[in-house]
Amino acid sequence: MSAGGAPGDVGRVSLRGIVKRHGTVTALHGVDLDIEPGEFFALLGPSGSGKTTTLRILAGLEPLSSGRVLLDGSDVTDREPGERDVAMVFQSYALYPHMTVYDNIAFPLRMVATPAADADRAVREAAALVHIDHLLARRPGQLSGGQQQRCALARAIVRKPRLFLLDEPLSNLDAKLRLETRVELRKLQRALGVTTVYVTHDQEEAMTIADRVAVFMEGRVAQVGRPQDIFAKPASAVVAGFIGSPPMNLFPAEVRAGALRVVGADLRLNRPLGADGLVTLGVRPAALRIAPTGIPARVYLIEDLGDTTIVDLDVGGQIVKLRTDQRPDVREGDNVHVAFAECHLFERDSGARRGE
Amino acid sequence: MSASNLVSARRLRTALLVAVAALLLAVWAFPVIWALLTSFKTERDVLAYPPTVIFEPTLSNYRDVMFGSASLLPNLLSSTIVAGVSTLLTLLFAVPAAYALARLDLPGKRASGFYVLATQMLPPVGLIIPYYLMLQKIGGLDTYGGLIAIYLTFSLPFAIWLMVSYFEDIPREMEEAALLDRAGRLRALWYVILPQVRGGIAVTTIFVFLNAWNEFLFAVVLGGNRVRPVTVAMFNFISVEQTLWAKLAAGAMLAMAPVILLGLLAQRHIVKGLTVGAVKGGGRT
Repeated sequence: MSAGGAPGDVGRVSLRGIVKRHGTVTALHGVDLDIEPGEFFALLGPSGSGKTTTLRILAGLEPLSSGRVLLDGSDVTDREPGERDVAMVFQSYALYPHMTVYDNIAFPLRMVATPAADADRAVREAAALVHIDHLLARRPGQLSGGQQQRCALARAIVRKPRLFLLDEPLSNLDAKLRLETRVELRKLQRALGVTTVYVTHDQEEAMTIADRVAVFMEGRVAQVGRPQDIFAKPASAVVAGFIGSPPMNLFPAEVRAGALRVVGADLRLNRPLGADGLVTLGVRPAALRIAPTGIPARVYLIEDLGDTTIVDLDVGGQIVKLRTDQRPDVREGDNVHVAFAECHLFERDSGARRGE
Repeated sequence: MSASNLVSARRLRTALLVAVAALLLAVWAFPVIWALLTSFKTERDVLAYPPTVIFEPTLSNYRDVMFGSASLLPNLLSSTIVAGVSTLLTLLFAVPAAYALARLDLPGKRASGFYVLATQMLPPVGLIIPYYLMLQKIGGLDTYGGLIAIYLTFSLPFAIWLMVSYFEDIPREMEEAALLDRAGRLRALWYVILPQVRGGIAVTTIFVFLNAWNEFLFAVVLGGNRVRPVTVAMFNFISVEQTLWAKLAAGAMLAMAPVILLGLLAQRHIVKGLTVGAVKGGGRT
C-alpha cells in the first residue's frame, strides 16, 4: 500500500467510461475523468446529477455497471474500499458515536496495527492541524457541528492517504462557518498536497475552492475545466444556466441576416453571430445594464444586497436578473430598456456553445 | 386564569398523576408483597383468617425449599442451564442474522419478516403434540438439547425481529466509513456497529432469558425427571390433598430472584434501548 506523500507522484485518478444503472434507471452514462496528482478537483452539479455516485464509485462503496477506475495507473475497479488507500469525509461525518474523538481519529491506524506510539503521534498531529487537539477526550455527541466536521477531517488526514474524497463536507455548517471552513480546507489541502475530490452542489463553493471543476448534468460530465474558464466559456446552455450567482440569463433568440432578434428587438452586435438559425442568448447578470435603448423591459423587483443590487426585470414575460454595484435610479414597475456588454450564444437544439 | 390558579392546577395534575402511579404500583406490588410475606409464615399462619399481617417470621420454608427433601436447587440449576444456553445460542445466531437482514438486499425479506411475526402469533398449545412426537422420535425428550432446541424455535425469530430494528437505526455510512478506514466487514461489525446496538442486545437478552426462565408449558410436557426447571418443580407443592402455600411462596421468591437481579443490572440498558430513536441520531447531528 502506498504511503502517500509528496505531490506530483501519487494520487492520479482516471475514470474510464463509468456507467451506473439502478434497474432501468441509468444514473451515470459513461463518465470519463482525469484528475492530476495534488489537484483539488470538484464534482459540481444539481442533486441527482450523478456527482455523489461518481465519488462513491471512486471510493469503492458503489458497484458499477461498466467502466474502469484507475488509481495511479493501476486498475482498482474490483478492489475493496479499504484496499484503495483513499479516505473519505461523509456529508453526515459518520463519526463513531461510541468512541472519543481520539479513538475516532486513531481508528484507521489501529485497523492496520500501527504501533501505539506512532499512532499517538499521528493522531495528535492530525488533531492539531484542524485545531481540535483540546477536544480529544470528548465524544462526537459533545461537539458542535463545526468540531464534528473537523474530527471527520482529522480521521481522513491521519492516514496520509493518496486521495481524499469529500462529500459535501460543508453543507451541514451554518453560512458563516461554511465560508471560513472553505478557506481553511483549501489551505489544508495545499499544505498536505494530497489529491482531493470534492462533491458539492454549491457552484460558488466549487468555483472558489477547486483547481478544476467537472460539471455534472443528468448523469453526464457536461464540462471540465478551471473555474474561470467554465465561467468565461460555458460549454452549453445548461452549464451556463447553472454557473454564476445569480446564474446566466438565457433568452430564446434567432440569428437572421447578421442580426440577433430577441424579444422583438433586432440587435446588431460587434461579434460574429454564426449561421442563421434558432439560438439561445446568454447574458451574465453583471453584463446587463439599463440603457436608453435596447430590449424593452419592466422593473419587477429590486433586491438590495448592500454592496450590490440585483434588479429583476420582466423581459417578454421572462424574469431576468441584472446585477450592478451602483443602485440604479429606477423603481418597481418602471418601463426601461436593457443592453449588454457581452454575451454567449448557444444552439437552441443541442445547447452547444457557438464559437466567436 | 391567574398565575396562582395556574400553579394550583399544575399541582393538582401532579397530585393526580402521583395517585394513579401509586395505585398502579400497588396493584402490581400487592401479590409480590403478599407472596413475600407468605414465604416467611408457617403453614398455619398462612391459613389464618382473617390474614395476619403481624406474625412471627420463620426461615423454615426457605430451608426446606433449598436444602429439604424437595429442594429446588437442582431445578434452579436446570432453569439456569435451559434459559442461559437458549439465550446464548439465540443471541449467537440472531445478531448476525438480524444484521444481514437489516443490511443486505435479500429476496424474500418482507416474507421472512411476516414469518417471524406469525411464529409469535401461533398458540404454543397447538405445537405441543408435534414437538412431543418429534422429540420422542429422536430421543430428545427430557434432555437439555431437546428443550433448548424447542425454545430456540420461538426465541430466535423474536430476537431477530427485535434486533433488525436496532441495526436499521444505524446509518449505513457507519459501515462505509469503517470500510474505508480499512476495517473490513467483520471488524466494522465488531468495532463500529455492535457497540452501537449494545442497548438492543441487552433488551433482547432480557426478553429471551425471561421467556425461557418463565416458560412452563413446554417444560412440563417435554421435560421430565432430568430436565425439570423451577417453574415445573414448584408444582410439587400443590397436590390433591393440600397446597403448601408458604413453601410455594418461598420457591417463587427464589425463582424470581435471578430475574429481578438481571433486570436491575440491565436497567440502564433497557431504558436506553426502549427510548432509542427518541432523540434522533443519539448525539449525531
